[in-house]
Amino acid sequence: MMAPNYRRILLLLLCGLLLPVAARAAGLAAKASFKGTNEIVLSLANPADAKGLGDPANYRVSEEQNPDISLPVAQALVSADRSTVTLSFKGPLNTRLTHLVTLHQRATNKGQAPETFRVSKSYWGYLLSILVSALLINNFVFTKYLGLCVFFGTSKRKATAKGMGITFTIVMVVSAIMSWFFYQYILKPYQLGFLQVVIFIGLVSLTVQAVDTVLRKVNPTLFKAFGVYLVLVIANCVIIAVPLMLADNEYNFLESLMLALGAGGGFLLALYLMSSARERMELANIPPTFKGVPIAFIVAGQFALAFLGFSGLKLF
Amino acid sequence: MKDILTIIFRLTVACLLAGAIMGGAFVLTNQAKRHNAELNERQVMLSLLGYASVKSAPASLKLYPIYRYLITAKGGEEIGYLLPGEAGEAGMTLVILDLDGKFVGQRPVTLSPEAAKEETKRAAAIPAALGGDAKARYADQTIVVTEGGQRLAYLLPGRFPGFKTFITAMLALNQDFSIRGLEIMESEEDPGLGGEIVQKYFKNQFKAKTLEAMRKIGVVKTPLPDEYRRALEADGGTGSGGLSAEQVAKIEAEYSGKDIYALTGATISSRSVTEGVRAMVQKFVYRLGLLDQALKEQKIAVPF
Amino acid sequence: MATDKTSLQLVTNGILNENPIFRLVLSMCPAVGISTTVMNGFMLGVAVLFVQVFSSCTISLFKNVIHPRIRIPTYTLTIATWVTVIDMVLAAYMPAAYAKMGIFIKLIVAFAIITMRLEMFACKESVTASFWDGVGMGLGFMFGMMSLGLVRELLGQGTILGHDVLGFKPLLFFVLPFAGFFCVGLMMAFFNYIELAYRRAKRA
Repeated sequence: MMAPNYRRILLLLLCGLLLPVAARAAGLAAKASFKGTNEIVLSLANPADAKGLGDPANYRVSEEQNPDISLPVAQALVSADRSTVTLSFKGPLNTRLTHLVTLHQRATNKGQAPETFRVSKSYWGYLLSILVSALLINNFVFTKYLGLCVFFGTSKRKATAKGMGITFTIVMVVSAIMSWFFYQYILKPYQLGFLQVVIFIGLVSLTVQAVDTVLRKVNPTLFKAFGVYLVLVIANCVIIAVPLMLADNEYNFLESLMLALGAGGGFLLALYLMSSARERMELANIPPTFKGVPIAFIVAGQFALAFLGFSGLKLF
Repeated sequence: MKDILTIIFRLTVACLLAGAIMGGAFVLTNQAKRHNAELNERQVMLSLLGYASVKSAPASLKLYPIYRYLITAKGGEEIGYLLPGEAGEAGMTLVILDLDGKFVGQRPVTLSPEAAKEETKRAAAIPAALGGDAKARYADQTIVVTEGGQRLAYLLPGRFPGFKTFITAMLALNQDFSIRGLEIMESEEDPGLGGEIVQKYFKNQFKAKTLEAMRKIGVVKTPLPDEYRRALEADGGTGSGGLSAEQVAKIEAEYSGKDIYALTGATISSRSVTEGVRAMVQKFVYRLGLLDQALKEQKIAVPF
Repeated sequence: MATDKTSLQLVTNGILNENPIFRLVLSMCPAVGISTTVMNGFMLGVAVLFVQVFSSCTISLFKNVIHPRIRIPTYTLTIATWVTVIDMVLAAYMPAAYAKMGIFIKLIVAFAIITMRLEMFACKESVTASFWDGVGMGLGFMFGMMSLGLVRELLGQGTILGHDVLGFKPLLFFVLPFAGFFCVGLMMAFFNYIELAYRRAKRA
């Protein structure tokens, strides 16, 4: 009975996320991108004279933060159809940083002002990497060791785990967005950074109260299923850790949204995995001293060990 | 209704009380926090230079910071170096170079070296000195250390990506750009694995590496030789392992051209630090060369 | 309703019978996350002790003027205030220790143990009783953190409080972050074992 509701919400969220991607990709005419660690590929909108483009001396490449240090171009290769130029470098580039490529003189018309391309990894890729990082690589439960009280308390049954995880994700996203606005527009400009803890915990309580009231009125069935978990959300330290991290790292709005989604999703994932294991464990013959919480800790340790395998994973 | 009013009243009082307590604590601790942070930084700098404590440093030792700014003006981007004025002068000088390192101009900045330590004050003074609609963006700072008027060393605070998040470090270079010492200020590498970069047996490996060596060394996964490890751990502290200062210097000199030995189980962290240090040294040497040249050609007097 | 327990009983209750970490299984995050050394455990223990004692006293002092309907928000506000204060004090006077504990100091605000003690004890009892209860809970937490730190530091690095006692490093495993889970699990099992053995001996 609950399932169609979940699906609709998830689908809507997904659509909302994917829409801007399509809109953005269409607008670019000429672009530059990294290829491997020591090459930059320029795609040109209107192919020009190959002679000028093939000369490495015509290019000036530097990191955006260090425009005074130019990186020598070893070779500039123009493709046969003159639509792309591949610049290769001797050493590896730091592809995490945005690079600037300036085309000094296009051999065709010398009076033309230098053209500058910005080369960076796709911003959407970066956002996705924040999401995946919070979900797997820096999973809040298994690699940051946060939210454990609620984690051990609600991971006995799969149904409970799912309910808790979804409620948590929703509250997480809403409160993180509010915290972000509060931090960027009130706390930071007026130098009230020391009030972080109070403001963030207040916003979380407010969100919980609001979700509680709205859900009770709008969808009593849903409230019956999820209402009990709402109280537990406040006692979860992930919910306060995420706003604190947003403030520390100076994330922008979209990045904050991704981190909140990743944190919530990561918690859901951890709860689901753990509850599946614990349901099986009930059938197992466990020594009496380990029954209950101790064995749950050992299993969580094994999950943490497994999640360590994700660390160092580099996407995009 | 009356109930709600009481609740609102009491909550307001509670919030005001809490606010007063926190505000009071903030006012009381903020000064101490800034003071301690400054003291700590100075301690780190001096220990990198080879002085055990603030007191043991000679009075003739002077630290002159150079603040680097990216200036966006009409004609494109330029680099501005905010330098302390000549000894005895109160103001500072902003030397502007273009992207290829050619001298563009020089502007006096009305800011005492003491006030220049605060970024907000610099951010207000520099655009005023530049005039027009030029914008200045703070990039980094380096510190020139002199003793008795002679250049002794350079201190470079820096930040580079590690295995997990960014690593903040402070690097000391000798006058010939060989490395004098490395200190890791902040890192969030895994304890027991990448977290070991703060240990002496890792960070002291960078000591005495020359500029030439630093340009080409890499990271090897072979285990750290025992005598080298003992020398590294004995260096700059109470000598454990029973090695005298001469022996330590001799062993370190022996390994100075060799690659960095990676930490067990943390090759990526080790490589990140090596790459980060390499980039810091190379960028600094390049920039200092251009700046020194400009200062010499334009006959700009600086205290270092 | 006033408790008839003496101050000593209240303190030992927090350390043994209702130990927050091993008995109540609350505030597990720092127990797993930063219990790698005895010193870390001690520092966080001091912070929690401070917050618990001050919050307990504050709430029990104002228990008659706190409106029952805004009980929980008032608790949260009180805890958050004291957490902010201790956070600022540590950042100012002990920057090195503060850097090691990172985000966990601020996260004390979400520790279930503190809210629970306020709800179950401080809002009903006198200031003195709440003070001793707070001390007991804080010490219990500190004891749990330090004993975990002791095991992990000794087995992982062969040191206690930074002093080399073993001369070698038995099992690097225990310092690694995820070992916190195993360590807590094993220690809980150990305490269970003692309790079971004790009961069996009593019955026989």
